Amino acid sequence: MNKTGIIFFPAFDWSLGEFHPEREERLLYTQEQIFEEGIMDLPQVKQYSPGVADLFDVLRTQAIFPDLQQHNLDAHLIAVGSSLVLGNALMKKEITNGFALVRPPGHHSGATVWGNRGFCTLNNEAILINVLRAKYGIKKIAVIDTDVHHGDGTQDIFYHDPNVFYISIHQDGRTIFPGTGFTEEKGGPNAWGSVLNIPLLPGVGDEGFLYALENWIMPAVEAFKPDLIINSAGQDNHFTDPLASMNVTARGYGKITEMIKPDLAVLEGGYAIEGALPYINMAIFLALAGEDYSGVVESQKPQNTEIGGDTIRSFLTDLKRTNEAVRPSWAFRKEPFLPTGDWVYSEKSIYYDTDGFKENRREYIRKCRHCGGTVLMISQKPSAFQKAVLVRIPFEACPDCEQAGYDLAETFQKSEKTVLLQNQRRDQVHFWTDGREVNPFGG
Amino acid sequence: MASLIGIDVGGTFTDAVMITNGVIERKGKIPTNQDDILNTLISALDYLQISEAKNIEMITVSTTLVTNAILQKRLPEVKLILFPGTGMKLSSLPWPVDYSVLTGVLDYRGRVVVPADQSEWQTLAEKLNKQSIKPLTAIVSKFSHRNNVFEEQLAAYLHREAPGIITALGSQSGQANFYRRSLTTYLNLAATELFQNFAYQLKMAVEARGCRAPIRVLKADGGVLPLAKIRPVESIYSGPAASVLGTLAQSNPEESYVVVDIGGTTTDIGLVLSGSPLISTHGAQIGPFLTNVRSLAVRSVSIGGDSAVCLEQGEVMLADYRLGPAYCIGGISPTPTDALRYLNLTDYGDLQRAEEALGLLLPENQRTASALRRTAQIIVGKMVEKIARAIEQLLEEWKTEPAYKVWEVIHHHDDFKFYIQLSGGGAPGLEAALENRMRLRTVLTEFSEVSNAIGASMAKPTFSWTLHLDTKFSIYRIEETGEQGIWTGPKKPHREVEDFLKELAQKQAVGFGIETDDLEKEIFDYFPLVENYHTVGQIVKGAMHVPPGVIGRIRS
Ligand SMILES: [Zn+2]
Ligand SMILES: [Zn+2]
Repeated sequence: MNKTGIIFFPAFDWSLGEFHPEREERLLYTQEQIFEEGIMDLPQVKQYSPGVADLFDVLRTQAIFPDLQQHNLDAHLIAVGSSLVLGNALMKKEITNGFALVRPPGHHSGATVWGNRGFCTLNNEAILINVLRAKYGIKKIAVIDTDVHHGDGTQDIFYHDPNVFYISIHQDGRTIFPGTGFTEEKGGPNAWGSVLNIPLLPGVGDEGFLYALENWIMPAVEAFKPDLIINSAGQDNHFTDPLASMNVTARGYGKITEMIKPDLAVLEGGYAIEGALPYINMAIFLALAGEDYSGVVESQKPQNTEIGGDTIRSFLTDLKRTNEAVRPSWAFRKEPFLPTGDWVYSEKSIYYDTDGFKENRREYIRKCRHCGGTVLMISQKPSAFQKAVLVRIPFEACPDCEQAGYDLAETFQKSEKTVLLQNQRRDQVHFWTDGREVNPFGG
Repeated sequence: MASLIGIDVGGTFTDAVMITNGVIERKGKIPTNQDDILNTLISALDYLQISEAKNIEMITVSTTLVTNAILQKRLPEVKLILFPGTGMKLSSLPWPVDYSVLTGVLDYRGRVVVPADQSEWQTLAEKLNKQSIKPLTAIVSKFSHRNNVFEEQLAAYLHREAPGIITALGSQSGQANFYRRSLTTYLNLAATELFQNFAYQLKMAVEARGCRAPIRVLKADGGVLPLAKIRPVESIYSGPAASVLGTLAQSNPEESYVVVDIGGTTTDIGLVLSGSPLISTHGAQIGPFLTNVRSLAVRSVSIGGDSAVCLEQGEVMLADYRLGPAYCIGGISPTPTDALRYLNLTDYGDLQRAEEALGLLLPENQRTASALRRTAQIIVGKMVEKIARAIEQLLEEWKTEPAYKVWEVIHHHDDFKFYIQLSGGGAPGLEAALENRMRLRTVLTEFSEVSNAIGASMAKPTFSWTLHLDTKFSIYRIEETGEQGIWTGPKKPHREVEDFLKELAQKQAVGFGIETDDLEKEIFDYFPLVENYHTVGQIVKGAMHVPPGVIGRIRS
């Protein structure tokens, strides 16, 4: 029997709007279900109370632009903080695993944040992961994202980080938000292969999902040898989900959880408020607690026909072959402001669907054989004529990369209004506005 | 002049007080006879000398009758019939009693997913009819707090097909938690006859003494209800509630403090936040039974002035039992009371005998004054340590209470300036030591020795009405009474829900003999129910309470 921690934070007074799928009602029936079942009374279960995350913990991982005051973070900080409460409990060995059943979700929120995307403002798992690394010295972490949507935010945050293996299994980005997560996306120049995307055909159901886990995901995780496994547990693969069409059942989710054996699971999406959430959350929870989840049965039956058997097996075999055949191709750039070293360049445009604007980003990564490499992100919100810069010195940075980070910060604090330096190696955060260093946490 | 009487049956002593206009007129302690609670209560009444002329307004008792019967397994067996539906396996939780299972599934909104199977009911009725004595039958279905259809139909069927049967339904206490609801329904039904007999005899005894005052019973949540209205199981653990209320009646209304009530063998610890006793977020647990009985957040530590002190491998240990009274007042075993007496921290008992008691813990050739003193200090230190840990645990529990809304988390623990309110037999001697250990100002409650009885006598009736309204299905439910009815109001109600609940509460309160002047409203939650971008209804959750408290303060 596992000692399982749970935090249930449904944020009953927070929503993005009455007609929004991410509204107060979302965890109402889950509450009914788990309270009525009495799962908090299971002898191996410990319920924790929600916590509030520290802004420092946020800024170590994500750059909040143009400043913290522009965002209403209360609900998000509690969702993050609750994940941290379980993380700390895990590290203190009070629990063997845990489930942060919280909203709002977080996995679409990336390295730079100008607003809310895909209902996410802060990335619960990413902030948690970096707290576990900074505070407890955990080295290698695998994230398995089982939400139906590609967790583009989590991928973005760890794309250049060789010590975080981000695996996402999701519905193909050509058919669903956010339109990313293709098998060619395999990580940055110093972290090639630390991202694994498995875009699935709609409708594969339990069978396809479990096949991919057994034959591809879990062997890859084992080869990586993580110290910890985090599950971004989105519930929108369910056959009743209004935004997706993956056909997975609650008991399928139970099996997925049993197979992944996450140390911590954090709730992500899932908008079949009535048909899916109360059942899936129960099944995941029971699987974590080592209890029989076979009695968790939805009141509706799956109706779509599944794509099963050989179709999915040959689809996944082809996909795997494609994935293995992908070779990196880096675009190098020399710019006057770049310190010594080879710098890989890329651009991306990020759409904030909730608020309806775009962020344009230029990224420079210092190619390095010794560490994850310093990253420079020059980010723009064109609609507001705002520009901001993030410099990230990674965990276990080599001296050259660290120096490059300091040099970049010095250069940009003179020319740009907003500059954030994340020195993950020394666990420091510096913020400059108009060339003056300010304390980003003060009022 | 109208007087209030309060009697608290404790493990060792029963406290009794008579209070007139906030002044204690008579008070005293008599030994508790755990095997005869009724006569203990009657003796306590007699001790107070209620005369016919005396105008008694109210008698309130806190009794261990049901607590003892449950813990000593003296209750009759109940046949527990469950409709567990789908979900977690019943075997995942430890059921302290047997049950049988019937077909039928409800979902979380009370919709019937799989109907009940009446052929099973027939077999059940036949089985019941074969038994010479009709068993007490508790019927509980999962999600019956949302829809009691299975429970009510089966009960009606059994009453028809197996006449003479006595049933209780889980939906009568309508909180979520199938497991706790089942066990609570079980215990309540099991204790009903015992409690009714007790109630009847107590009433007769009071009337025989020419007293017609209403009799009330203290509940675990610190409220009182008329003897005839209380659910027997609600009377468990009313002792700790009495301690908290007793302190409340003797302190300033707005203060925040830890209540520490030191009894003969147990010390009760509670928490008061700005004058309101803290309610536990979980139901009370009694023996192996987890219940949904609402109770104050209290901790009971098995240590008290009379706890036996013994030697274990040369080390002084405090036992969690009592071997009679303290040595210094004629007992046979050394106790903390002896240690306190020897250190001159109290003047209760004989000093010479206290010294003898401590001597028993030392080899004859080592009984020097300094060794005796050290031994006494060790005993007091151990007692204080045990109490301090329990206080810390309770404070921790309060700090880690679950919260489900953003504002609850943000305003979770506005600063409270705590101090310690100390009462009970051994209290005076521990004041300084506890203050030192906890680094919190510690004060003695004035009428320390009868604080519990004061609490009982001055307790206010309490009640809660928690509404769950689903306007899509036009159904409302009240958790505490189990009432389920039809909603005829709008699909998207606002204020009218609060008025609806208030009216209902006021109407029901009359039946319970409760004043609703200080009805407290909780923030109502409104959940929009959306289908295809249209609001098709709302789920509304909200509550009104008559919170626990006291009807006045004691004047010295
Ligand atoms: Zn999603
Ligand atoms: Zn480097």
